[in-house]
Amino acid sequence: MTVIIPTLETERLILRAFRDEDHDAVADFYANDPGAAYVGGSTDRRGAWRVIATFVGHWQLRGFGPLAIEDKATQRWLGWCNLWRPPEFPEIEVGWTLAAPFRGKGYVHEAAVRVRAYAFDDMQLPTLVSYIVPGNVASKRVAERLGAKRDGAAQINGVTVDVWRHPHPRGAS
Amino acid sequence: MTTIPTLETERLMLRAFCVADHKPFAEMSADAELMRFVGGQMDGPDAWRRMAAYTGMWSLRGYGPWALQHKATGAFVGYSGVTWPYGFPEPEINWGLHRSFIGQGYAAEAATAARTFAYDQLGFLTIMSFIDDENAPSIAVAKRLGARLDGGGSYKGRAMGIWRHISPETRPEKRKPHMT
Repeated sequence: MTVIIPTLETERLILRAFRDEDHDAVADFYANDPGAAYVGGSTDRRGAWRVIATFVGHWQLRGFGPLAIEDKATQRWLGWCNLWRPPEFPEIEVGWTLAAPFRGKGYVHEAAVRVRAYAFDDMQLPTLVSYIVPGNVASKRVAERLGAKRDGAAQINGVTVDVWRHPHPRGAS
Repeated sequence: MTTIPTLETERLMLRAFCVADHKPFAEMSADAELMRFVGGQMDGPDAWRRMAAYTGMWSLRGYGPWALQHKATGAFVGYSGVTWPYGFPEPEINWGLHRSFIGQGYAAEAATAARTFAYDQLGFLTIMSFIDDENAPSIAVAKRLGARLDGGGSYKGRAMGIWRHISPETRPEKRKPHMT
């Protein structure tokens, strides 16, 4: 079995496969960043390594998955943007996570627009959602700026999350 | 780009995990007794993540665990392979079987193929299995493979033995030529 994980580019960002060298940055995120609460909860270096392995393995199992967001200018790891479908997700999700120091600069929007285009144009997905816990105001704002619209709620592992449905580039949604 | 090779033994196919393995793998992962020494019981979503992590290890390390498929019936038997989870002192050969397949020599059969892969394809000069001191069934498999206790360590607060496998020179199976 052979899987090729694509590299995508935007004006300021490279979206690429996670690799072993991201371990320090991911471990720092999971140890110290309050945002870790939205993506599995804080964990140690061992847990962070497992997250990276899981992300890469998701590509092999599904043919899509998370991409690391890298700053073109500095080559720093900023976070990730994912197409994600573990068994408890009713639909494929586009999601985003950015380490605290890099928020507020529009990076997530820039990455998500590119990943969404990949999902609709390259993968030919008919529709795409983002699952956002109601208290996550920052993520909700990103979804709104992306043009996503509230489309009810879903139960994921016993937690109620808002479903945000993304506009399809060719009209249907 | 990551390629996960497929190996064959007498009764088993060692192949990449696929989405369809989630159901039997989740059954295994929910089995408290089977999971006691390998991270504890986990639910379906966590089993999925472990399956993905096993698969992703191939990209990060260049080797990893295979899903074991029963050649005669196509059934999912368990997993085995060469792995190196972060926090382990060195790479190991691991194995775990679904309850329907324990006690029939499948773990040793798969682990022998993994050992051959480690020596002949990966070029390892040594390989061990890192086994919880209380995990008697796995220790029995290690002994059956000819492994000897070669020190210990700890992982997640548990006392672990380093079971050193027989060396490339002294193993009984016929040595295959290296890949070129």
